[in-house]
Amino acid sequence: MGSEEASSVPKWASKPCIMGIDEAGRGPVLGPMVYGCLYCALSYQKTLSSLNFADSKTLKEEKREELFENLKADESIGWAVDVIDPKELSAKMLKKNKINLNEISHDSAIGLVIRVLNLGVLLTEVYVDTVGDPEKYRTKLSVRFPSIKFVVAKKADSLYTVVSGASIVAKVTRDRAVRDWVLDETADNIQRNFGSGYPGDPETKAWLENHKHPIFGFPSLVRFSWGTCTPYFKNLVEVLWESDQMDEDGSSGSNGKRQLKLSNVGITSSKRKSEEIESSGKGRCKFFQARKLEQLTHF
Amino acid sequence: MEMEKETETETEINLSVKEEEGSKIEDVSGKVHQLPCSVKYNGPSSVSQYFKPKPTPTTGIQESFFRGRNLLGTTLPIPHPYSGFVIGKKSFVKRKASDMSEEKNSSCWEVKAKFQNLTYWNHDTLPSHDDAFSRSFHWLSVAEALHKPVTAEDLVSASMALKKMD
Repeated sequence: MGSEEASSVPKWASKPCIMGIDEAGRGPVLGPMVYGCLYCALSYQKTLSSLNFADSKTLKEEKREELFENLKADESIGWAVDVIDPKELSAKMLKKNKINLNEISHDSAIGLVIRVLNLGVLLTEVYVDTVGDPEKYRTKLSVRFPSIKFVVAKKADSLYTVVSGASIVAKVTRDRAVRDWVLDETADNIQRNFGSGYPGDPETKAWLENHKHPIFGFPSLVRFSWGTCTPYFKNLVEVLWESDQMDEDGSSGSNGKRQLKLSNVGITSSKRKSEEIESSGKGRCKFFQARKLEQLTHF
Repeated sequence: MEMEKETETETEINLSVKEEEGSKIEDVSGKVHQLPCSVKYNGPSSVSQYFKPKPTPTTGIQESFFRGRNLLGTTLPIPHPYSGFVIGKKSFVKRKASDMSEEKNSSCWEVKAKFQNLTYWNHDTLPSHDDAFSRSFHWLSVAEALHKPVTAEDLVSASMALKKMD
């Protein structure tokens, strides 16, 4: 959780403040998802509108970088980011009790609000680009922080300057994180031409194709839980998990649309699976059953 | 047919130490991992380049990732005087290709490597003493108590205990 922090608590932070929250890298199949926020005194709002912030997607990379440097230098603006590692995204979405991407996103936004409040900033209004249903999301945030007025909207990043600013913070941080990504894997044939990370990007597609591994799948930069990965998994060595079996029994609810449906990856009936995954000690005395110790007559 | 059934239920295992000249059995302690999944593959792979266990703030617990899943593991020593062994079918050198089938069915195994500890991994959950895997080691001490030859002293003390119960 978290990385860089804006400057120490400025004087204006004790006056009513507004904040915008936006995300970058929700769709890509690789790299971190970044939540960014930008805040300032309510009275600074007018000046903020003159700073040419716009939805980060409509800006060229150079312009985004320039605006980010400007806002960092602006003493009347505070900001913070939460960089969520792709390993964390995969692991949460593939947990035994799966956490979907919307929930991860909400938690990250809530984490940012907590961090800024803990800095001593008097937040009164917070503008959030929605994830999932705006009204449900707004209610969730309002219950959590009763003293703050939340505005949750679709395309908030183009509607509210403070959210546009947050989108620049998030996008620039995400781009830099991917560019400077330190790979965990030490195989010497891993290249860095990841592309944008979006599933449709030909450079990303080529990178995925060239970096699949029969046993390990992909380097951990890749979000294994993304549906984009499914076609690549077909040719890999099959891996059966206990939690997939539970999934087939229908214990987990429906998840985000991009989330990989696990039953597509595993094959065959659940009965066969559990027997293949581990020994059971079936038919033996309790001592052995509890320890899953089977008698072996041949290897 | 009858014969085949016989061999399936009563397999004799001849275990031998690799006899290549000057070769020492490799010690793979610290490199043996028990994963909470079934990987449908047998053979070498670039494990050390892709599988990177890291220590966690909790003592004795390591964290790693495999195919996007978060694994939590701990390293268990194999109790003295036991050892772990990696065994493989004994390879017979310089034989005709027609003998291959015979080789497959042979019950001669040889030790390829040995280890004194192994790391077992749980998906999402912290390893604990309640895990079936760590509890399976109980069998070693139970087996010892069951199979240790009975001495005259044991018999005396056992019959004394029985008498007391009457």
